[in-house]
Amino acid sequence: MSKPGTGSGLISELDWEKPRIRWGTRTLQALLLVGLVVIGLGPILWLAKSAITPTLDTITHPMALFPHGAAWSNLSQAWNDVHVGRYFWNTVVIAFGSWAAQIIVATTGGFALSVLRPRYAPIIKGLLLATLFVPVIVLLVPLYIEVVHLPIVHKSLIDSYWALWLPYSASAFNVILVTRFFDNLPREIFEAAEIDGAGPLQLFWRIVLPMSKPILGVVSVFAILASWKDFLWPSLVLSNPNRQPLGVRLPAIQLQTSVGVFLAAMFIACLVPIAGFLIFQRSFLGGTGLGGAIKG
Amino acid sequence: MTLTTVDQAREPALPSKRGLSRSYARPRRTPLNWVRGGGLAAFLFLLPLLFVFGAFSWYPIVRTAIMAFQHTNLVEAPTWVGFQNFAAVWHDPLFPVAVRNTAYFAFLALIFGYPIPLVAAVLMSEVRKRRGLYSVLAFLPVVIPPVVGVLLWKTFYDASSLGVFNTILHWVGLGPYPWLQSQQWAMPSLVLYSTWANAGATIIIYLAALIGVNPELYEAASVDGAGLLRKVWHITLPQIRGVLLVTLILQIIGTAQVFLEPYLFTDGGPVHSTLTVMLLIYNYAFGNSLGGNYGMATALSLMLAGFLVVFSLVYLRATRSWSTR
Amino acid sequence: MKSIRIAMIVAVAVLLGVVASTAAGSTRSAKKVTISVASLIPGSTPEAIKQFNAQVAEFEKKYPTITVKPVEYQWTAPTFAAKLAAGTLPTVFEVPFTDARTLGDNGQLANLTPYFKKLSYHKKYNKAVLAEGTDAKGQIIALPKGAYAQALHYNRALFKQAGLNPSKPPTTWGQIRKDARIITQKTGKPGYVEMAKNDNTAGWILTTLVYSLGGRMEKGIGTHAKATLNNKYTVQGLKMLKTMRWTDNSMGSNFDLGWSDINQAFAAGQVGMYISGSDVYTNLVQAYNVNPSIYGLTTIPLAKNKTAGVLGGGTLAAVSPKVNNTQLSAAMKWISFFYEQPLVSKKQAIRNAKTLVANKQPVGVPALPLFNHKQYNLANSWIKPYINVPLGHMKPFLNGIFKQKLIPEPEASTQSVYNALNAVVESVLTNQNTNVQQMLQQANAQAQAAIEQGS
Repeated sequence: MSKPGTGSGLISELDWEKPRIRWGTRTLQALLLVGLVVIGLGPILWLAKSAITPTLDTITHPMALFPHGAAWSNLSQAWNDVHVGRYFWNTVVIAFGSWAAQIIVATTGGFALSVLRPRYAPIIKGLLLATLFVPVIVLLVPLYIEVVHLPIVHKSLIDSYWALWLPYSASAFNVILVTRFFDNLPREIFEAAEIDGAGPLQLFWRIVLPMSKPILGVVSVFAILASWKDFLWPSLVLSNPNRQPLGVRLPAIQLQTSVGVFLAAMFIACLVPIAGFLIFQRSFLGGTGLGGAIKG
Repeated sequence: MTLTTVDQAREPALPSKRGLSRSYARPRRTPLNWVRGGGLAAFLFLLPLLFVFGAFSWYPIVRTAIMAFQHTNLVEAPTWVGFQNFAAVWHDPLFPVAVRNTAYFAFLALIFGYPIPLVAAVLMSEVRKRRGLYSVLAFLPVVIPPVVGVLLWKTFYDASSLGVFNTILHWVGLGPYPWLQSQQWAMPSLVLYSTWANAGATIIIYLAALIGVNPELYEAASVDGAGLLRKVWHITLPQIRGVLLVTLILQIIGTAQVFLEPYLFTDGGPVHSTLTVMLLIYNYAFGNSLGGNYGMATALSLMLAGFLVVFSLVYLRATRSWSTR
Repeated sequence: MKSIRIAMIVAVAVLLGVVASTAAGSTRSAKKVTISVASLIPGSTPEAIKQFNAQVAEFEKKYPTITVKPVEYQWTAPTFAAKLAAGTLPTVFEVPFTDARTLGDNGQLANLTPYFKKLSYHKKYNKAVLAEGTDAKGQIIALPKGAYAQALHYNRALFKQAGLNPSKPPTTWGQIRKDARIITQKTGKPGYVEMAKNDNTAGWILTTLVYSLGGRMEKGIGTHAKATLNNKYTVQGLKMLKTMRWTDNSMGSNFDLGWSDINQAFAAGQVGMYISGSDVYTNLVQAYNVNPSIYGLTTIPLAKNKTAGVLGGGTLAAVSPKVNNTQLSAAMKWISFFYEQPLVSKKQAIRNAKTLVANKQPVGVPALPLFNHKQYNLANSWIKPYINVPLGHMKPFLNGIFKQKLIPEPEASTQSVYNALNAVVESVLTNQNTNVQQMLQQANAQAQAAIEQGS
């Protein structure tokens, strides 16, 4: 990372002293900023405005600013009649559960594959790598049939959150990411702990996990974003409306809800992710997040 | 998820460091020794992984490969039909349409979604104050739940002169445009949304890569008298080549499986102009109220998977020599 | 909070149950049974939900051993297919006329025949309607919920605003075209809007139009039927749509509306006229609280030839085949109580009407007879004092409908026939240079293939 107050080095300090380059760059950057405000913030601001505008005004004058006053009732109706709160809570429960499931599977699996290394570890690693090549879509139909009628135990997972948590946790990407992180931990520490009489469980819990905060952060962001964004799978396996997350519920009620109330519901649905993003922006935007993960 | 494929394969495969000494000091293979040597512990730690992958990844993958050769309606016992499902997909007049549309979506997404974030990221990398503000603004659309994003943009795309976009364009004397209501405009409209929704993440990735470029390289070039554009061309782009190649294939694999946009915006219309392969698979499996054609759905899934695997391998081979410095 | 309250209710209920069972030992022998039933579509108004719950409460009072769990429900092709496969349909659910027989033949609906025979009113059914819920083996696998004839719904306020007489709605397709043009010119709102969504509503409405001109979509029955999508009346209908869309420009600018979309747009005052089932007013109230003063209803104009007719269809109530006999018997009681008795029992009809009125839900929405004509008139006379729909605004329909010839939906592969037609309608409305003949030929081939496969 470069120091604050300087660029990436593409434009040298010497060039930066030249007014032509300095002002040229600044103009372009100002234009970019305006563009980002319009594109990034504009739609959200419009949604915020329309959430408290009477339906008729939004339909007939979408860009006018409160021609006939505000309709705060949209928000209360969205909360009370559409029950945005309940669906929001479902969304959170699903995200949290799939986060926990993914962390458990990725850390225990990664620990076994990287630190304990049983003889068959390479085979499992190979099988994991192979699944990376298989697009998720291939799983859609058989996974659906399987969830409808679980073999051996003969139960249906439909309408249960386990139908989301378990398949989500089978993410080879997470396991490999964590395994590679563990691979790079200094092995001397493990050996020292072993000599002190630490069993695998202590090794895992007291030594490896505390050292893996950065990678757990990355896996967490991925896990939560992915569960937050998924639509097709939850819409197939959660047919009971009381169990559905916002992403499934909103399209189902859109056409039976007045435009103003619906936009208010969508606005409420956006608030928490936006707030979460602004609070934890470092995890999202930092080099260790998305960029780091992709760079490997 | 699929994306890391490339990345993983590019790296030297498995680290060759040795496992813990204990697991190697095994005199004889008896169950007791296996337990004492940590074999049981390793197995127990692997259990969650083996369970979820066995049940929710490996087993369904095998099942797909079987179902693609069967005829089943979940009521009666499945029957073997050989390649019939594949033939049925192949002869479905909608199959070439879906393939063409998916390729078109991927192509447009590349035109919109590849260079724009790069230019934005280069400009942002030279921002000296409040770069964070730029990043936050750029990333904001990424955190909007996609369903909300699509439904919101669907309102924007209203084709009457009272639509949001049409009102704005009217101020500058353009439109009204039909957006989703026209066979020519529908797909570009979907791609426009998709770019809005995803460009932020790409920008952040590029930005991280750009900032990681060693400034000394630029200094050396400056000393040689290189101008700005030449520095971008000869230093910046080659330096971030690895990231560019990875995001490229990730994007192509991702767009090959595009579903949400055509499903919620247009349901494949008008006149199949936004019907994608994924949507066709969905329609095979769930589109008919009298029961799905799971055989055709899994057959087409396998065809898509096969294509993507071959594509990834070819891509990897072709780019291996470039991307490793 | 909520869970505490529920826990208390449960505790109280358990206590009461203990007291009751010790007090009257005989009730213990009657087995408790729980069934889930299709209730309202997602997003219905709180009043509509209240009304439904009141019906459930009355039912449970009448049958104390049965517990009814309402499940919101809307029939759409993909959701139905997924739920059918997953076995998550409620015990009692609804299917359109077009699907029941095939589902029954596939063994996906419970056999209701023994229970049906015990209904005191089972001989009074309209034979044609009952046939929709009878499978190939002659078993009753579904009972009618309602039957509709396609009708023209129009916005009286927009008619007035455009200088047209809202009490004299159009009676020919030529007048529909003219009025639509005037409405668009005078009010800026689309004069005539048509469902043109991929979910087969596009094909459904086009078939309605073609029937009204005198055409048919197929000949014969079962897998031997012949698709006749490419007939001269379809061409005529599509040409008319093309003129209204591209020459008159009176059909608005959004052409991806489905059943719910168009109802929503109409309730918001954004549609001059549109075609949908005669019973749509119920949904306009349940989901959108439509203003009754803007609502007008008339018949679809029929061409002056022998084959012209109005498309009719309906919905049936059916039971999942996976239930046990106790549940099946309870489910039949619910079907009888909720769907059938309001039409055959004076007491139930009045009770039902009162509940609806108390919760501001519509009573008196025009529907077609499920039972014989005598029964139909009788039932209408019972509820007369409770009618709260703008009956005056529905006069043009009520006066004309029984003179119209009713034609059922295409029988073989109905949804596939509609599906083939979707693209043709979409094309005419979104592409001025559509080659109608060529597209119809493709659609016909597609429909024929589906018919032969029985899909």
